[in-house]
Amino acid sequence: MKGIILRRLLQLPLIVGAVFLITLALAWGIPGNPLENPDGRRPPPEIAEAMKAQYNMDSFGSFATSYIDRATGARWLRARLSGEHAERDAAAIAAGLAPPQRYVFDLGPSLQYRDRTVNEIIASSLPVSATLGLAAILIALLIGIAVGVVGAIRPNSLADAATLTLALVGISTPTFVAGSLLLLLFSVLLPIFPVASWGSPRDIVLPAITLSLPFAAYIARLTRVGMIEALGSDYIRTARAKGLPERTVILKHALKNAFLPVLSYLGPATALAMTGSFVVERIFTVPGLGQHFVSAVQNKDLFLIMGIVVVFSTMLILFNLAVDVLYRWVDPRIS
Amino acid sequence: MVRVLVPILLLMLALGLALAGDRPAPRADFTFINKGDVATLDLQRMSWIQDLRVGRLVFEGLVQQNTFDPDYTIIPAAAESWTVSPDGLHYTFRLRDNLKWSNGEPLRASDFRFAWRRLLLPDTGADYMRQLQLIKGGEDFSRWRLESLKLAARGEGPTGAELWALTLAKFDQLVHARAPDDRTLLVTLEHPAPYFLDLLAMPPFFPVYPPLVSQYERVDPATGRLIIESGWTKPGRIVSNGPFILSTWRFKRDMRLEANPHHRLFDSLAIRSISIPTVDDANAMVLAYRSGAADWVTDVVAPYRGDMYQQKLDFIREHQAEYDALKSQGLDEIEIARRLPDDPRNHLHILPVFGTQFYNFNCSPRLADGRPNPLADKRVRRALSLVIDKAAIARDVRRVGEPVARVLIPPDSLAGYTAPAGLRCISDCSTPAEREALIAEAKQLLADAGFPDPSKMPAISILFNKDGGHDLVAQAIASDWQRHLGVPVTLDMTEIKIFREHLKNKNYMVSRAGWYGDYGDPTTFLDINRIGDENNDRNFQSPAYDDILRRATSEPDPAARLALLRQAETMLVEDELPFVPLFHYCNIFLFNAHKVSGINAHPRQTQNVYLVDILGDGKGPDIPRSTPPRVAHTAPQPRGENP
Repeated sequence: MKGIILRRLLQLPLIVGAVFLITLALAWGIPGNPLENPDGRRPPPEIAEAMKAQYNMDSFGSFATSYIDRATGARWLRARLSGEHAERDAAAIAAGLAPPQRYVFDLGPSLQYRDRTVNEIIASSLPVSATLGLAAILIALLIGIAVGVVGAIRPNSLADAATLTLALVGISTPTFVAGSLLLLLFSVLLPIFPVASWGSPRDIVLPAITLSLPFAAYIARLTRVGMIEALGSDYIRTARAKGLPERTVILKHALKNAFLPVLSYLGPATALAMTGSFVVERIFTVPGLGQHFVSAVQNKDLFLIMGIVVVFSTMLILFNLAVDVLYRWVDPRIS
Repeated sequence: MVRVLVPILLLMLALGLALAGDRPAPRADFTFINKGDVATLDLQRMSWIQDLRVGRLVFEGLVQQNTFDPDYTIIPAAAESWTVSPDGLHYTFRLRDNLKWSNGEPLRASDFRFAWRRLLLPDTGADYMRQLQLIKGGEDFSRWRLESLKLAARGEGPTGAELWALTLAKFDQLVHARAPDDRTLLVTLEHPAPYFLDLLAMPPFFPVYPPLVSQYERVDPATGRLIIESGWTKPGRIVSNGPFILSTWRFKRDMRLEANPHHRLFDSLAIRSISIPTVDDANAMVLAYRSGAADWVTDVVAPYRGDMYQQKLDFIREHQAEYDALKSQGLDEIEIARRLPDDPRNHLHILPVFGTQFYNFNCSPRLADGRPNPLADKRVRRALSLVIDKAAIARDVRRVGEPVARVLIPPDSLAGYTAPAGLRCISDCSTPAEREALIAEAKQLLADAGFPDPSKMPAISILFNKDGGHDLVAQAIASDWQRHLGVPVTLDMTEIKIFREHLKNKNYMVSRAGWYGDYGDPTTFLDINRIGDENNDRNFQSPAYDDILRRATSEPDPAARLALLRQAETMLVEDELPFVPLFHYCNIFLFNAHKVSGINAHPRQTQNVYLVDILGDGKGPDIPRSTPPRVAHTAPQPRGENP
């Protein structure tokens, strides 16, 4: 077990590095000038040139080297060792001001939000998306497993048909429809939950439910299939023959095996839910990471694109690893 | 079973921890939803309307506009008074006594020079660099710096700290903006410019705190270039001089401003705190207003805004007599809404702004692919302009009551400037016979230009960007051209970034376009049609036009100058037609005029939000402000009372 974890952790930088380089090349190739306003006044050509130089965007080579230099912490280390940081901090303190904030792994400035660094954007958006994603996965698990078990106990019954239909609706309803409906019902018609606000636990309810629906539906289907298979197997017949109560048979013996496919789905699902959803974040005004996946590409915000790709790929790898570890723990037969 | 529950419990624990760390802030005195996220509070690098709006709250310039005056007269801000020499070239500003930065340090005249130096340095990447080159020596300084950087890059000439020291000396030597003492600022212009004070009322020309900002600028030793870092605009770090200070700025969540105790208006502000939540979704903005979470939506873009406008019209119809009476008194739209009954439909305000939507014609003799360009002939441009049903576009496509445009500069937005008549279009024809005559005229123009059979013309391609409803306008125009003239038309929709590239490279035939004026002068619209101007997307090259603008520049008499500028605009919209104006933009506001005062209805649409007063809350004067009707005047009056 330890060997596997160690090996996977050693692979991580290699995989992230490969993803990074491919994305960097693709992002550079997006047409359009990221430094130009989307509308209105176009600055004089000399200003446009100066801006390119400001962000080392004269050529792909200079951009890539300066980015890697910064993101790997090499520049920070150089400035630290040469005493440049100490010198500038001293100057700031002498002027009665707080020294500038610095990041060891500097992911660069955002081109779209000029006063923000990518580090700041990720640091402020990722916890939001992660909270929302966790809540959504929890709701999805509760609903999904309950619905799946109910359907599996009597296959092809009315209850099964109803839950299957529900799951199908859950998978096929786009989140922008479900989200808008929930918002209209529970924020405007019945003002139970606030509109366009983020900060209190109440704000999380509607977006979390919206985000959880497709996951819940998928989990329900996985659980149902797993349960039906488990309930027909020999060890369940044995358990029943021993005279165990039906509840124990279902919850303790059958569900344990039926949960395994859900668990393996949970890894990528959690990574996906925790890095945010563009649609849900827009409808409910959630300050999460998901919106940047779309807007950063639209605005060709190179630094932001690179930053979120690195974060997402790292999380995906780590969650898959976590699931593999849990899997071996839940089911000791796997080694 | 316990083992199955463990992952769920772990997730619950993580969620509980995450929620425990989040606390909402108390409600601010005034909450408004800005047009979009503020991109930067670095004054010299800002250019977006939402940035400028917050810039005016957090910082303060030498002068400001009286936004409740029909002529937008200039009134004191940080400067208590100023004089202008008779030739209009020399300005002497006298700063108020005891001006302070938000950290309590004194604000000096030299702080303005510091900000202006940043603006003129090409390294800063300021969108408004060219506007400040109005100051004598400004252009020379910028050019010298560019040349020096080029030399340094080639390894010739001084670099690093040496070049920087030289740059500072050069600024002092070349640029005629001097601060002989802490309260006096002397400025000399290249040529007389009656709009100079109006320009200075824009945030890019406001001061920044030098000790702070210089912490975030460093000279690259290899190239000598100034590297600018972000970070000084954060709450807790930023030092500013406006009526409000930045207390919170959470990314994609909200911005919160509190009254600045070091500002002279501290005791008289009717609102002490302002909250600006980030709401990107068009529908959520309206819902936030309706649920009471926001007091003002500054840009209603919901897809059903056309229906909201129809409801407002229904409301006005129900009170038609009253509305007409108020209108005839010359009251502005907001004041009229305030005097009509309080009704949710009455919370929508459609206000014309300082901007125009038009369609560019590429005037280059050849298209980007080398084919001859039929639009190079102004008769073709005129024929195409005549048959566009502008009224139908405004009424049926846009549906928010935007006025049809015949000219580039929105009429009645500038004191002393009378708009030209402009070119008529098919919407102006009241009878079928008139329409037929107009279409025949357009066809004749095409025939004269060498296209007797318009269906054999090379297909006209209309370029526009996705979103914003531009596809609908393009379809309407294409249909007018096909129906009335038989000209083949193709539609070309692209992403905004590619759209902008095509415009810049003149790689199009006809394109959607729009322009908002920056300062109170016709040149803010007219300059974009000069030869070589970087915003001349039309590639319109008329030495005669440039010559009129040049004569206006050296004309000392303001009235004669405006007459020349009018002549230039007439040439654009009646004769040369490098573009066809479609409609003047409107701002769509959502707020209750019975509750909120301080938002003005003037077409220039500068909003000084610190003037906002919540009526009937017992704080502030609680007397609604409105714009009085414009009185006939002779020349712009550069003086006034402090509000």
